[in-house]
Amino acid sequence: MAADALPPATAPARGALARSALASVGRSWHTARITALGEVLSPPRMTATAFRLLVQVFLVTCLWRGLYAHDPGSTAGLDRDQAVSYAVLAVLATRIRGLDRYAGRDTVFQHLYYGTIVFWFLRPLPPRRYYALRALGDQLYGCVWVLAGGLVCLATGVLMAPVSGTALLAATVSLLLGQVVLYQLTLLTDLLCFWTMQNSSTLQIIRFAQNLLSGAYAPLWYFPGWFVTLSSFMPFQSTLNTPLSLYIGRIPASGAPAQLALQACWIVGLAFLTRLLWHRAAQRVSAQGG
Amino acid sequence: MTDSPLPTDTRPPLPGPARPTAPPRTALRRYTDAWRVGLRITALNFRAQLEYRGEFLLQVCVGIVWQMSVIVFATVLLSRFSGMGGWSSPDILLGVAVRMLSNGLSVLICGNVGQVVNLAQAGRIDGFLLRPMPVYRQVLLSRFPVNALGDVTVGIALFVGALERSTLDWTPGRSAYLVATVIGATLVTCAIFTAISAAGLHYPSTTYWDSWVDELTSTFGSYPLSIMPRLASGALTFVLPLAFIAYLPIGVLTGHSSSLGVPVALAAAAPAVGLAAFVAARLLWNASLRRYKGVNG
Repeated sequence: MAADALPPATAPARGALARSALASVGRSWHTARITALGEVLSPPRMTATAFRLLVQVFLVTCLWRGLYAHDPGSTAGLDRDQAVSYAVLAVLATRIRGLDRYAGRDTVFQHLYYGTIVFWFLRPLPPRRYYALRALGDQLYGCVWVLAGGLVCLATGVLMAPVSGTALLAATVSLLLGQVVLYQLTLLTDLLCFWTMQNSSTLQIIRFAQNLLSGAYAPLWYFPGWFVTLSSFMPFQSTLNTPLSLYIGRIPASGAPAQLALQACWIVGLAFLTRLLWHRAAQRVSAQGG
Repeated sequence: MTDSPLPTDTRPPLPGPARPTAPPRTALRRYTDAWRVGLRITALNFRAQLEYRGEFLLQVCVGIVWQMSVIVFATVLLSRFSGMGGWSSPDILLGVAVRMLSNGLSVLICGNVGQVVNLAQAGRIDGFLLRPMPVYRQVLLSRFPVNALGDVTVGIALFVGALERSTLDWTPGRSAYLVATVIGATLVTCAIFTAISAAGLHYPSTTYWDSWVDELTSTFGSYPLSIMPRLASGALTFVLPLAFIAYLPIGVLTGHSSSLGVPVALAAAAPAVGLAAFVAARLLWNASLRRYKGVNG
């Protein structure tokens, strides 16, 4: 039908537009909640996650308290409570990173390996949006665990209260920005799969670098000066070290604007790069048989 | 079905001219034959992995990188804190080295037990049941764990470094006990992951626990557990026997027997505990395999 043959927009047409928008939101919601729904429908898995987090938090707390029992005072600018809080929050935050879709065979790596990636490009939902919605759902679900775990740790005295309201606000904003950076870094890693078929080892090495340089293994402040300087030039510390350091007061609230601006810069830079790579990746996809 | 070769053919021989029968194989001959077949399969798997040379090298790097994460954590602790539970830095380093070396060896020997879930889901275990070789051995031989080369390389390097830094007098008795400790630690690690994989024959979500225990082992398996509360150190000794990997035997070797939290005899018997744990894990695996149902139920 030619465009000029379309009837003028009337009230019913606007209603249809609204219904279409609502349907779009509904579809997005259904896509975003896939991982969370899978977890909720599997009570043993939820129990295992809660048990695992509980044990891990307990052991990490014991470890750092035990270390500080021999060396009371401040080490690398962190006292005992700050170190324990950093380590506990890092354990909780890795819950967000730990979520994957491997069991459901819905990772980019698996789709490329089995050739099913082509279906991502045939659906009415663009692959970029599908990927973003799945990641959004996963990260929101992970954040619920972090929040719940954080509140329990706060109530039991394992986690120190934020040093000030400003620090809490800055840490929250930084955590959100950090999640965007984490999403883009994960996306970047996944997009590499379009160029390298056998790359599970590469992915593991990149994940290791991410964890090491973001402070997931040990607070970055304990590392030598050159290492801290090196990591400051990379985006990884934005995902974990910056929000956690703001929360425990190792980075003062006055330094927050500069840190948040740095995170924003990484987001913009990585967004350009991932957009470009999505475009290039789409040109490489072909159905099996060429 | 049990974890044993198929029964021998009991049908009567076909009529025809008599053929010379092969002499019965002795137990020693069967043992050497089994090793020969195992080594040939391993060599074949190794060549298959070499087909993708870039990926081969990257897998070696993965092993190195995984071990490096433990070294990084240990370095941070040793450089920032004066000691852990009254242990000196060389003593702690020796514990870390024993755990890392045993981890590398266990990945090299038993690393494929972590693949049991994938093998069961792909239906390959069903195929293994039809072959004249124990299923557990077929799982171990199902692919060559290239990343173990990186694990073992870093483990050996750290082990040599720890021995150089150690202030102990390495008498023949101590040296022999250290070797037994490494073997025992390898057996404990193999036992833990074999026991988990026994569940993996039935429950796909076992991989979740497998990765967690791996993480716990690398974080808490190397350090003096005396810095932990009794509840935590007890759980890491008697529930998940991480203490028998390095903490207890190295504690005995370095003269910390009185503060280990268990009787000295038990701590000293850590290598024997490793053997007992592995035998128990294998029995558990066999029992689990008898109840195995294929992917089609």
